[in-house]
Order: sequence, then C-alpha cells, then structure tokens
Amino acid sequence: MATSSVSVADSALAKSPAQSDSRVPIRDFSMVIALVVIWGFFAIASPNFISARNLSNLTVELSITAILSLGMLLVILGGYIDLSIGSGVGLLGAISAVLLSQHNWPAPLAMLVAIIVAVIIWFGMGALIVTQRIPAFIITLAGLLVFKGLHWKVIQNSTIPVTHGGEDNLYSLLTTWYLPPIWGIVLGAAVFALLATGTWRARQRRESFGLSVDTREVAFARLLVTGQLIALFVLVCNGYQGIPLSALILAAAAFMVWVLTQHTRFGRYLYAIGGNEEAAHVSGIPVTKVVIGTFVIMGLITALGGFMQTAYAGSSTTTTGELLELDAIAACVIGGTSLKGGRGNVVGVLFGSLIMASLLNGMTLMAISPEIKYIARGLVLALAVWMDVRLNKGK
Amino acid sequence: MASVSQSSKPATERPVLLRADNIVKRFPGVVALKGVSFDLREGEIHALCGENGAGKSTLIKTLSGIHPFGSYEGQMLLDNKPLELRSTGDAETNKIAVIYQELALVPEMSVAENIFLGREPKRGAFIDWITMSEQSRALLQRFGINVDPDTRVRDLGVGLQQLVEIVKALAKESRILILDEPTAALSESEVEILLDILRDLRERGVTCVYISHKLGEVFAIADRITVLRDGASIVTLDADKTDRSEVIRNMVGREIGDLFPRHATNPGAPLLQVRDLNVAPPEGSNTRLRDISFEVRAGEVLGIGGLMGAGRSELLMHIFGAWGTRTSGDVSLGGISLNANSPARSIAAGLVMVTEDRKRYGLVLEESIGFNLSLSSLGGMTASGLLDGNREWKENRHYFDSLRVKAPGLESIVGKLSGGNQQKVVLGKALMTKPKVVFLDEPTRGIDVGAKLEVYNLINELTASGQAVVLVSSELPELMGMSDRIIMLHEGEIGGTFSRQDATPEKLLAAAMGQPVPTDHTLLV
Repeated sequence: MATSSVSVADSALAKSPAQSDSRVPIRDFSMVIALVVIWGFFAIASPNFISARNLSNLTVELSITAILSLGMLLVILGGYIDLSIGSGVGLLGAISAVLLSQHNWPAPLAMLVAIIVAVIIWFGMGALIVTQRIPAFIITLAGLLVFKGLHWKVIQNSTIPVTHGGEDNLYSLLTTWYLPPIWGIVLGAAVFALLATGTWRARQRRESFGLSVDTREVAFARLLVTGQLIALFVLVCNGYQGIPLSALILAAAAFMVWVLTQHTRFGRYLYAIGGNEEAAHVSGIPVTKVVIGTFVIMGLITALGGFMQTAYAGSSTTTTGELLELDAIAACVIGGTSLKGGRGNVVGVLFGSLIMASLLNGMTLMAISPEIKYIARGLVLALAVWMDVRLNKGK
Repeated sequence: MASVSQSSKPATERPVLLRADNIVKRFPGVVALKGVSFDLREGEIHALCGENGAGKSTLIKTLSGIHPFGSYEGQMLLDNKPLELRSTGDAETNKIAVIYQELALVPEMSVAENIFLGREPKRGAFIDWITMSEQSRALLQRFGINVDPDTRVRDLGVGLQQLVEIVKALAKESRILILDEPTAALSESEVEILLDILRDLRERGVTCVYISHKLGEVFAIADRITVLRDGASIVTLDADKTDRSEVIRNMVGREIGDLFPRHATNPGAPLLQVRDLNVAPPEGSNTRLRDISFEVRAGEVLGIGGLMGAGRSELLMHIFGAWGTRTSGDVSLGGISLNANSPARSIAAGLVMVTEDRKRYGLVLEESIGFNLSLSSLGGMTASGLLDGNREWKENRHYFDSLRVKAPGLESIVGKLSGGNQQKVVLGKALMTKPKVVFLDEPTRGIDVGAKLEVYNLINELTASGQAVVLVSSELPELMGMSDRIIMLHEGEIGGTFSRQDATPEKLLAAAMGQPVPTDHTLLV
C-alpha cells in the first residue's frame, strides 16, 4: 500500500529494483504497522494527538522533515551523506530573518540571498568531497560546526523574528497560510483524477510492452484506498483551517524529486553512482558533475527547510534546526534507503518522515522531557540503521 | 654448496618431499585443473611454467589450503603421508609458506612488526619490541637486505616490500616456500637479491616452488621445471637438460582449430591512430607504458597480447581516459584528435570499452538488465529533460534480443545472471552507444564455450559493418584465432607486431617475454 500511489504511476521501463525488490513490500508493510502502532499509542496516551488542530500542526512538521529527507535521499542515493543540514537550516533561516526584520528587506529578496549562499556553500562542499576525495562524513561534519557558529554570529545569540513589525510576509506565511477549504476539495479531486489517469496510462503502456501488471482488482483497490486517504486528508485539514501551504510545498517537492529520480538522466546516474561508482565512471557518467549537482540540490532544499522551520518557530534562535540532519537520515533509512547508496525511493522516504514527525509531535504533546526525547531519537536512529543492515545482508 | 649434504646430490636423486597426484579441481562450469601431478624433491627449486590460465594459481591454492582438502580430487603426500590441508593455518603448521603476487603486508606497520605479525615476541603480557627489532635486523642482514626494521612498510618500494614479505615467510622457518610471480614488481637488482636469497635457501635445505613466466629467471635458478597447460601437467624437465624453446613448445602445444570463426574483412581507412604514447602510472601501480604506436583500421581486429603486468589493460584504459597520466604522445579517432581524460569524452567521440573486470567496472549489479543496458546511452534518449521511456524500451529490447541474453526479461536483476549473460549485458551497453572503435578486454574470460562463440560472432558482425575492434586476450589461441594483426606487449613496450599469417605461438610468446623472435619455422607445434 505504501508504494501504491506513486510507483504504479511510474512508467520508467528500467525500473529501479528498489521498487521491484521482493523484500520491499515486507518493509513497507512493517512501516504501516509501525505507523499504526505509533498513532494508536499517542491517540490513547494523549487524545489531543488526533485533534484536527494537532494533525494540522503535524502536517506542517511533516512537511519540514520530509522536504529535508527528500534532499537527503538524493545525497544518500549517490552513496554520500550530509550531516550539516540541521545547522544549515539554522544559518539560512537566520540570514533571511535578519535581513527581513532588522534591515527591513522585502521577504523574497531576503530569501533569495539565503538561497544564493546555500548554492555556493553546498557547491563547495560537493566539489571538495568528489574532487578531493574527502569523505562526505567529515566535510559535512565540519559544515555542521561552521554553520552553527555562523548562525549564532548572524543572530548575535539573540532571537530574531521572521516578521518586521508583526506584519505577515511571504516568509512568515510559509507555515501559517492555509488553502481555503473549498479549494482544498477542488485540489484533492484534481490530484485524484490525475493519479487515476496516470495509473491507467502507465498500466496500458506496461501491457503494450508485455510487462507484468497488477490484476484489475488490485489496481482498483489501490486507487480506491489512495482516494480515500486523499479525501480523509482534505477533510481533516478543512476541519481546522484548510490544507497548510507547507503541505503543498511538500507535495510539489516530492513530485519534483520523484520525477528527478525516476524520469531523468540525472536520477538514473545517481542510482548508478550509488550502486557502483567505478562502473558508472567507466560507463561514461559524469560522476563529478552529478555528485556536485546533488549537493547543490541539497543546499537549495536546506534553504527551503530553513525558511519553513524558522517560520514555524516564528523566529530564529540558537537552537533552530538542531538535529534535523539526524531526523532526515533516520527518515530515509526507515523508508528503505540504503546507506551504501543506490537504493531508495520517494514514497518510502515520505513514509519514514511521517513516522519520525509523528514520534516527535506525539512526544511533545505528551510533554515528555527533552532528555527522554533525545534518548528516543537516538534509539530510533540506531534501530533504523540496524534494520537497514539486517535487510541488506546477503546482498 | 657443500654445507648441507643433500644439496650436493643432483635434484633427481633427492628424496621426494611433497607429491601431488592427479589433482582435479572443478569450479561451477569450469574445470580449472584437469589432472596435475608433480613431485617436489627436498631442497630443490622447482619452477612451474605455463600460460595465463594454465592452472598455476589454482594449483598453488590447493597447496596452501585456500582450496581446502575435499574441494578437489586427487591426493597430496607430504613425507609419504597424506596431506589434508583444511585451511591456510594447516599449511602453516606443515611449514608450507606461500608468497602471493598481491602482498599481504600492513603498510602502516614497521618492517619488524610485519615480519612478526601474529607471533610477536612477548615479555609477560607486553610485546618485546627490542627482541623483535633485533631479530628482524638479524634476519634482514642474513639475506643481505639493506632495510631498517623500524621503517614503515609503506615507505618502501614495491620491490623491497616483496623481499620483506619473503623474509616474513622465512621467519616462520618454512620447509616449503611457494613463490607466485615474485619478480613481477622487482627491478633487476632486486631480482638478483631475490635469486641469491633463493640459492642461499637451497643450501639450507629449504624447498622452493617458483612460479614465473620469465624463462630467464627460471633457467637461472630452477633445478627442475614442470610445464602446465590447460589445467594439466604436461611434462617435468631437468633444467640443465632442456632449453627455452622446448619449454615454450610445451607451454603452447595445442591446435588452434575452428573454435575461432574469424571472417576477415578488407580493412578500410585507419580509424584509431596512436603515436608515441608514453604514460606514467597512477599511484599504486608501476606499469609504465613506453613509446607505443599503432593504428587500427575500419573492419579490422587488432589483437593485443602479453604476459600479466605487460600493460595490456592499462593501455586500453589509458586511451579510453580511465588510467594513468600521459607524458607524451597523441591519439586520434577518425582523424580527430582524441586525448580523452574521461570515459564520457571517449564514448561521445565513438570509442567504447568493455572492461575485463565486469563486476567492478562494468555493471551496477543490484540494478536491472534494462538499467545497465541503456546506462551509457541515456543522452540520446532524453527529450526536454525527461527520459523517453518508449525509446529506451525499444533500444533495450533490441540488444536484449539480438545478444540473446538468457533472462526472464529486461527487469531481471543483473547480479543474478550467469557470467556469460552478464558479459552480454556489458557488450550490449557498449554497442548501444553506436561506437566506431570497440575495446574488448578479455571479453571471454570466465564464460562458457557457447557464450564465447557468440562473442566471436559479434566481433565478426562489428568488423563487417566497418567498426574496428581492439581485442586484449591472455589466451594465445583466441588472440591468434580472432585477430587480423597482433601486437605483443612486453613490460609496457611493444615487443613485436605480427600479421595473422606470421603469428605462431612461439613467436608471440618470445615477443611477450622480450626474447628475440625466432625466425625459422622449424619449431612446429
């Protein structure tokens, strides 16, 4: 069910085994069970968890985690890692916040500056990693420390709001604007219609190539479940203030990353580099360019995540963004991304992000103390990687 | 010479120390040893000679416990008692030491630490560094090796490392020392030191098995020579009663029949021209290419042969843009200069390479056949940024069918295919780029006879359609059977060029070994 909505619509003919691998459904299934258990537990322990208001908050939190995880997916697919994005979120969010609230810059311009900074920094890190052969782990760990220090310098260890004089702007609206309910319904219906036609066309194409397809019943059931989930999501969101803008951003980002990984040369090269970098090079793949490109995209996504995270908190403080890199890595691994590279997909990462975001949201709601939250996050990360190692055995 | 009584007797009269009796070793799909028998007499230096793939390495692995007792047929006797080695540890207990081509030293440790690795002298619970250092110094001095035992191994040249490795084996007081191509990485003076060490050991009663292609060394040192061919022992000769040509004849001696269906075409214009190429090796390699010039014409198969380490693969990889640094020389493809520094540029220019190590350089094993087939050709399948799935499917299907890949479909995972089918996928990936020149490095290694024939037919199809093929092969029959012209490399230089009609195994081997090429035709196979 986890792979239903997107991978059926997938028509890539040289499909990544990440989607045809027989082990994956087991993992997908265990992800669904884990999610049900987590939600069930929090719903009982803290009934507010399933209130429309909290689910709306959870959606915003999910958007931030998931967007960062999608960037991390690209980096990990190529066989690399980025530990710096938590600090990067803090730094990039802070740059825009300072320009906006202290220098009275218009929000789009303030954000553009942070985006340019992000591209330059991540281009540099990617180039160092792939041309100088310095392990990504080290370069981005250094980045983690440097960006943290820069972040604190930028905000001078104080709290910088994301508005000037309390007026809403593009930046602050990222996590506070909601789609009017009626538009939410229209959008939900439109997405479902696109999904249905996409599924149908992909199915016909696979049939015309003589490839195996699901039986009509299974395909129909999948579509039905997907439709119900979309309807449920729209109704829950409309029960509060409507679909959050951040959810729309996430949907757009997820769609783009999915197209990138499944339907472009860049994505195919990324899987090849992560699967066997030497073979990729000898096959004529511009490994250096692709890896640097991946890091640049990671930088762009970090900037976006930085705006959203800072806007969600309302201001930039010394702790903004802290540990988000670990949540993103955990979400990827939970979602079936192999840390060795070459295996993983968007749907899995979205699921992994939902699990991570739910855990954090639920614990906050239960007023669990920060020390226990740290321990829980650490254990989840270790558990996820252990699962990854276990499932990769015999490869 | 006279210090040990046995060494004064001729080798043939000394008692047999180790006897291998009709050893047969099978791998899935291949019989690597088809019956090897030889005996090793106490205190002799016994050379094993044979072409690449004759079974030398497999034989050593049975003698060293890597292929444990029970995984092969036949019998081994040590001191007339059955020898059943179940592990490399068993070999050590029986005082058999093997020195492989790839060194087993820890580069970050000192010479002394390496020599005593795993059996460090102790005082109480602690390592006795002083004793270790002194004993190492004594050992090194005894063999005339001028190295400080406290030097880190990584700071030594490859040749000295090799000598340290030998000292390490000797420090275990082995009775039988097996050396696999020990001089491949040594300079001439280092070779001399090594040969002196071995002579010294012979006087001390140590028995040696010496594996080498280099007949000069073999005749300089061996008491007896056993020739292996196609996994069988052919003959054992006394070194002082034979000569090089007899050994070469025995190494080659087979017929080249219709296994190689080469249809020669009339070569057209030169496609690939290589002039005065000099290439410095990258870090970690010491194969240097010197003054290499050749050309390949449209419709022609140029064979490149040579012994292990002669620089065959390196030459192709360099022209392809994936190995070494060019110090001088020029390459052009179809008259246009091609000095590629990356495979991507070569492929764009119409030159593609099928590498020898297909698992390392050829395939993304976890991915599907389709993924791998189209990997080098995606540039032409992209429209407005998106992959054209229909086009990719058609191309993939075409090569899947025409190469007769035996698999359920394009979505099957490549890693699960047999060697022959994996090789077809690598070939298909190369051909899909629509190349003008195709480099094939050992294209039939490790695949079965039927798949080999399909590869040969493919070569014919390529040349018939005006493409040029450069074929590197370790197997002389394949080289002679499929090439229109043959270049033999010897230590990074061209040792000789032969037309198809001129080429005889003796001439090719002589050129590969840097010997004068025999001119008469009295040496018939």
